[in-house]
Amino acid sequence: MFSGYIISVAIFVGIWVTLALSLNILTGYAGQVSLGHAAFFGIGAYTSAILSLKYGLPFWVDFLGAIIVTGLIGMVLGLPSLRVRHDFLVLATMGINFVVVAVFKYVDFFGGAMGLINIPAPSILGYSFRGGFPYLALVWAFATFTWLVSWYVSKTWVGLAFHTVRIDEEAAAAVGVSVPRFKIYAFAISSALAGGAGCLYGHFIGSLFPDTFVFVESIVVLSMVIFGGVGTLRGPVLGAIILKAAPELLRFVQDYRFTIYGALLVLMMLFQPMGLIGDDSLLWRSLTHLFRREGVGEVDS
Amino acid sequence: MSQQLRTPLLEVQRVSKRFGGLQALREVSLQTRREILGLIGPNGAGKTTLFNVISGFLPPTSGQVRYDGRTIHGRRPHQIVKMGIARTFQIVKPFGDLTVMENVLSGYGLPYYPSWRAFVGHFRTPGSESAARDILEMTDLTAWAETKASSLPIGLQRRLEIARALATGPQMLLLDEPAAGLTSQEAEELAALIRKLYEQGISLIVIEHNMAFAMDLCQRIVVLAQGQFIAEGSPADVQSNPAVIGAYLGSEV
Amino acid sequence: MPFMQNLSNAVVLAGTYILMAAGLTMVYGVLKVLHIAHAAVYTIGAFIGLLVFTWAGNFWLALAVAMLVSGIVGVLIYRCTYHYMLDAPRTVPLIASIGLFVMLTDLLQKGFLMGPYQKALPAGGAGLPRIQTSWFSLTPKQVLILVVTVALLAVVYLILTRTRIGLGWQAAAMDRDMAAAVGVNLNRVIAFNFFLGSALAGAAGVLVGVYNNSVFATMGDLPSYKAFIIIVLGGMGSLPGTIIASLLLALVENFLVASVGYVLPRDAIAFLVLILMLMFRPHGLLGQE
Repeated sequence: MFSGYIISVAIFVGIWVTLALSLNILTGYAGQVSLGHAAFFGIGAYTSAILSLKYGLPFWVDFLGAIIVTGLIGMVLGLPSLRVRHDFLVLATMGINFVVVAVFKYVDFFGGAMGLINIPAPSILGYSFRGGFPYLALVWAFATFTWLVSWYVSKTWVGLAFHTVRIDEEAAAAVGVSVPRFKIYAFAISSALAGGAGCLYGHFIGSLFPDTFVFVESIVVLSMVIFGGVGTLRGPVLGAIILKAAPELLRFVQDYRFTIYGALLVLMMLFQPMGLIGDDSLLWRSLTHLFRREGVGEVDS
Repeated sequence: MSQQLRTPLLEVQRVSKRFGGLQALREVSLQTRREILGLIGPNGAGKTTLFNVISGFLPPTSGQVRYDGRTIHGRRPHQIVKMGIARTFQIVKPFGDLTVMENVLSGYGLPYYPSWRAFVGHFRTPGSESAARDILEMTDLTAWAETKASSLPIGLQRRLEIARALATGPQMLLLDEPAAGLTSQEAEELAALIRKLYEQGISLIVIEHNMAFAMDLCQRIVVLAQGQFIAEGSPADVQSNPAVIGAYLGSEV
Repeated sequence: MPFMQNLSNAVVLAGTYILMAAGLTMVYGVLKVLHIAHAAVYTIGAFIGLLVFTWAGNFWLALAVAMLVSGIVGVLIYRCTYHYMLDAPRTVPLIASIGLFVMLTDLLQKGFLMGPYQKALPAGGAGLPRIQTSWFSLTPKQVLILVVTVALLAVVYLILTRTRIGLGWQAAAMDRDMAAAVGVNLNRVIAFNFFLGSALAGAAGVLVGVYNNSVFATMGDLPSYKAFIIIVLGGMGSLPGTIIASLLLALVENFLVASVGYVLPRDAIAFLVLILMLMFRPHGLLGQE
């Protein structure tokens, strides 16, 4: 039987797969490089924690509340992207992350530096659970939902518009895409999904501390997306799985976790900036070549 | 592509544009309805700036631009495309990562973008694809439909940009130096395409440096120099206009 | 606290900001890269300064060695990473810089380097005197920071305006391709740029370490965030702008914290300033597009 530890790792991986996929919509599709995604993760976590802790609302309300509130706040926090691009946007999102964490830390309503504890375990239809297979299923159901949203968006006009914004904002405007509107859409969708992941995180751990959502955690999520292959549907999933599971399962890596993260990012940028299984990466081209030769399958795009 | 019996009137009224200390346009006026209008002038004459003002990429410092009686100056580019004016760029701006087909489809999506319909349904439907293929056929790009735009040579990229603009269903098309970097063979094909578009009911304004190309193709020519209107008339008139000759010679310093 | 005292404290604070931000803006000026790993260079400078001071007991030697080592580390960073990414899309060197920052900071925290706790750097005022006037007074440590900052800035100014390589930098900052076309050796200019900027950051690290009598592995995080705010305020790539922006930020922090410090911590104030600046004047107070 799977040990409780393995299940916990799988739960964390599921949550981070969701985070990576949601950031991919913002950064990989719409091209808005954000170093503040952990802030949305945190807003979702704190929102659902407060709804359940201070208002005693049932889990599904907390969950939906986290998604909606984070999505709305994401639209507001996305406003800087309408004024600035690229490097300036990176700095702005860093700043947003910092300010959000400062709010969690210094405003008493959010528990301050001591955080929030005793977050109730989710209970659905009278059955209360925190951890174990039921929670694993819940987390991965949401991860799958996030993947489906990403897939769906990539097939619709919204997805196409996102890509035009990413590639060339002026050309996008010239084909009728309202660049500000679509940037806000990207922030809304991406942050809402991250908020959902935050809710699942908070109710699993049972307590929240501001430092969980600092800027470094944003870097972690971004590195998962870039490592796997930014802009693809498969890249963020693989990136999150590898970068989240490895340190949990390999003791010696855990100690040097960030050294390895950092080194991986640098190496990827030097040799395979398109990601491990991004389009045009060595690995992906080999894989598709292999399958195409055997007459199987289509190329993911 | 629907037949337009009457293309709306584009009115540029005394448009000026100032960038800090530089006066890029000085009280330029012109009107165009249903023609192939050439916009020529030496370097720095303000031709692209005028396009940018008309298409909404720059607000005019003063003056008015009206289309179909409605004010368009100060509007955002995506709004102006929706009203029926599309443009290409002097330095070509394809969506490099996307295929030729996807580039054209991105223009076809014009009616969807502002509405909730952008969230519903696949953008590659039999309907949209067939409309896109019609445009690809007209611009002779069918063979490259699934090729990434960034791997096309410049001549094809220019044609792609025209195809993409056509996909938005415009009544008026602003082409910024569409023949730049083309071989004479390609330029001839381009001229044929422009004439075909005109016959289909689209009105065109063409900025061109290539004198022979412009004179041969355009029915009427407007000349700008140093941000000001210098002359207008038929190609023959303009070519023999001393003010025009002076403007070009003067700029050859 | 009386106005003049507050003012002089702010100027001292600005000194450390300037040294940190100057390096950052110099790198951005030529490479157009947000050199996030700059924070690690600052920390390495402090660390080396600590080691040398502990071994030799002399502040000035420690400062010199720290600057030299920081400079070399900076050049190495450039040669091993950014050098290969000059023509890649902007996100590539950005992510690489982030990776470097994370990697170096984590390594520095390991026991065989700086360890997870802070260490003392008791160099005092390095023998400099206290300054006492009727309006304000400066402790020896504050005098030290002012003296070193002004001296280094003077040297940098001379190098940038009087030497060939300095002029080459100015040309490359204006237009990289044009500079190469007129014969500027870009590689040398960029390497020199990194050396100088990193040496300044190392100096800042040592000074702050001495001032707070504390050196620790993550000491570069906050100063580097503020350095980013400063280079945005001052216009990315503008050295005079950086100096003015550093003074401004130090002033705002000092005076604002005195009055509204209870609402949000001073660092959050700095970030709000950043976000507002980016929204309304992204090209800085003095910078131009």
